[in-house]
Amino acid sequence: MSPTPGGAGAPRDRLKVLSRRAFSFLLDWMAWGYVAYCVMYLLNYYWYTVHVDWWGTLTLPSWGWPVVILATLELAVWCRSLGRSLGQRAIGVALRPVAGERISVGRRVLRGFLWHLSVPLAPVWIARGEEPLHDRLTQVGLRTETPDPERPGRRAILTQWGFVSLFLGALTMCVGWLIIGINLQVLIRRAPQAGRIWGEMLRPDFRYFTAPDPVFHLRALSYSILDLTVVTVFMALVATVLGGVMAFPLSFLGARNVMGFSPAGWATYGVIRGFFNVFRSIETIIWASIFAIWVGYGTVLAGILALTIHTIAALGKLYSEQVEGVSPGPLEAVWAAGGSRIQVVRHAVIPQVLPSFWAFTLYRWDINVRMATVIALVGGGGIGDMLFYYKNQGDWSKVGAVVMVIVAVVWAMDYISGRLRERIA
Amino acid sequence: MPTPYLVIDGLTKVYERGQVHALRGLSFSIEKGEFLVVIGLSGSGKSTLLRCINRLIEPTEGKIWLDGTDVTRLSAKRMRRVRRRIGMIFQQFNLVDRATTVRNVLTGRLGYIPGWRSLLGLFSSQDKQTALANLERVGLRDKAYARVDELSGGQRQRVGIARALMQKPEILLADEPVSALDPATSHSIMQYLEQMNRQDGVTVIASLHFLSLARRYGTRIIALKDGQLVFDGPPKTIDNAKFKEIYGEDAEEVEVR
Repeated sequence: MSPTPGGAGAPRDRLKVLSRRAFSFLLDWMAWGYVAYCVMYLLNYYWYTVHVDWWGTLTLPSWGWPVVILATLELAVWCRSLGRSLGQRAIGVALRPVAGERISVGRRVLRGFLWHLSVPLAPVWIARGEEPLHDRLTQVGLRTETPDPERPGRRAILTQWGFVSLFLGALTMCVGWLIIGINLQVLIRRAPQAGRIWGEMLRPDFRYFTAPDPVFHLRALSYSILDLTVVTVFMALVATVLGGVMAFPLSFLGARNVMGFSPAGWATYGVIRGFFNVFRSIETIIWASIFAIWVGYGTVLAGILALTIHTIAALGKLYSEQVEGVSPGPLEAVWAAGGSRIQVVRHAVIPQVLPSFWAFTLYRWDINVRMATVIALVGGGGIGDMLFYYKNQGDWSKVGAVVMVIVAVVWAMDYISGRLRERIA
Repeated sequence: MPTPYLVIDGLTKVYERGQVHALRGLSFSIEKGEFLVVIGLSGSGKSTLLRCINRLIEPTEGKIWLDGTDVTRLSAKRMRRVRRRIGMIFQQFNLVDRATTVRNVLTGRLGYIPGWRSLLGLFSSQDKQTALANLERVGLRDKAYARVDELSGGQRQRVGIARALMQKPEILLADEPVSALDPATSHSIMQYLEQMNRQDGVTVIASLHFLSLARRYGTRIIALKDGQLVFDGPPKTIDNAKFKEIYGEDAEEVEVR
């Protein structure tokens, strides 16, 4: 198995190298753009809040932003030619002379100027299959850097790249702190009010643990804490079972090693994976607010539907990643014995993934119980209804009781599912 | 004149968009009942050759005639029919580690079972009897209900053999069946293959690393180098010069006793 000399794939490879260069250039440009944004933010903040009315306004005129963008572009170009580029570093290349050891500063500057000529002419030199013009004329090139085993590198933080990362990190922290604009003093200032609530919550009122609370009712019926706790756990159970049952077949359609043999297979894979990713990124609480309007505010059904949808997507993704991680040997053996695709899945894939499927499902039940306690906030039903009712009444002793029951249930679920998962794995 | 049992004609396999040539116009033929050993360095194309025969790997060019049918032109469905007659055992055994031994053996039967029944995992009692009998034959009857990850390497390869036996194969492809095993176990595995070859009349094509094993068990040896045939003949005719040609100047023959 030796590679053929020359090779039919050469133009394709050259384009790949160029697109990597373009990517690293974009990184540089974005890094400088980010620095420019942060500096602008800091200047703005300084002039508006510290030196009000000193210089009027710092808002940029309409032509300002294009200028900033072009300036950062220039900064990126010159950094890359002068040999200090985060982007080049990120893809592991550096500017090296075609012959000799060093590149003189003059050649570097020349390359910087030539870049402006070379980019508009890119179609020409790409079509001719040549090196980029500015590299060719100055006799340099981007070469992959291999670490010299004779000279072990210094500790990462002590290199100039360490300082650059440190600087960017510090800048981000400063600007970020100003952007979110929080004030920690309130924590102290309002401590007395919070203290009263904490005090009441820590003296929980368990009067309505088993007896229905006549004050709290849903659709003309009263419930105890225990009633709604049981409802919540079962909401989570039903959602987990339904979600798991639906995610199971879908997960095979969303696994590359099962589907990736034909264009139709790839299309199915893409659609299913897309479905998983989109539906998973919409949180349960958002689903609950949609279903609460659809099937009724504060109903258990709304909560179950929301939990189920999110469970299908989340478990589907976890399941299909497991399917993709199976060892390919048994699959090959079933193919070799004359098995069909469905037999390969049934007899080579499923036996390998079933234990982890169970583990993930148990874990998901655990998560669903936790989610089910809060979705009442948007009309999903369950114990949360009671929690938010008491909270709105300012009855913090009863809130304390409900919270303690939730903590106990979640802790128990976590413990049980953890122990079961240990047994399975 | 009757045609040979298996004819390979101009077989070529190119990987990775024309970058790697695994097989370059390979041609040879085999009679029924032969024990053919394929030798060659790693990467010489042995595995690719075996997998092209049952089309686990799709050949780029060339024809493969098995018992008068050109398997390179069969549809996927008819290819599955042909695969039932071709047993295969693997270097890494390719068993489901979490399943029991007998479950693994039964998967050898899947080509004969309609889809809906295999989907439920229902094997006929006759198949189960055969599976146990085949395990008996490779000396693992007592391990039938043990999980495969409790077995040793040699035992696992015997499970692989029992699985191949479930197909009642006419031809057995053995892809470096003993490379992951120690010398003593290697001989025991090779003896099972020899027994299948002599008693059941199964044609065997085995790729091996050790020339000593090839000489001891093969009725004929072919050698591959860079995807081309560099030797084809009875075991005795490989001398030191031939050996150096196949394995390179620096190679030293290692004996497996």
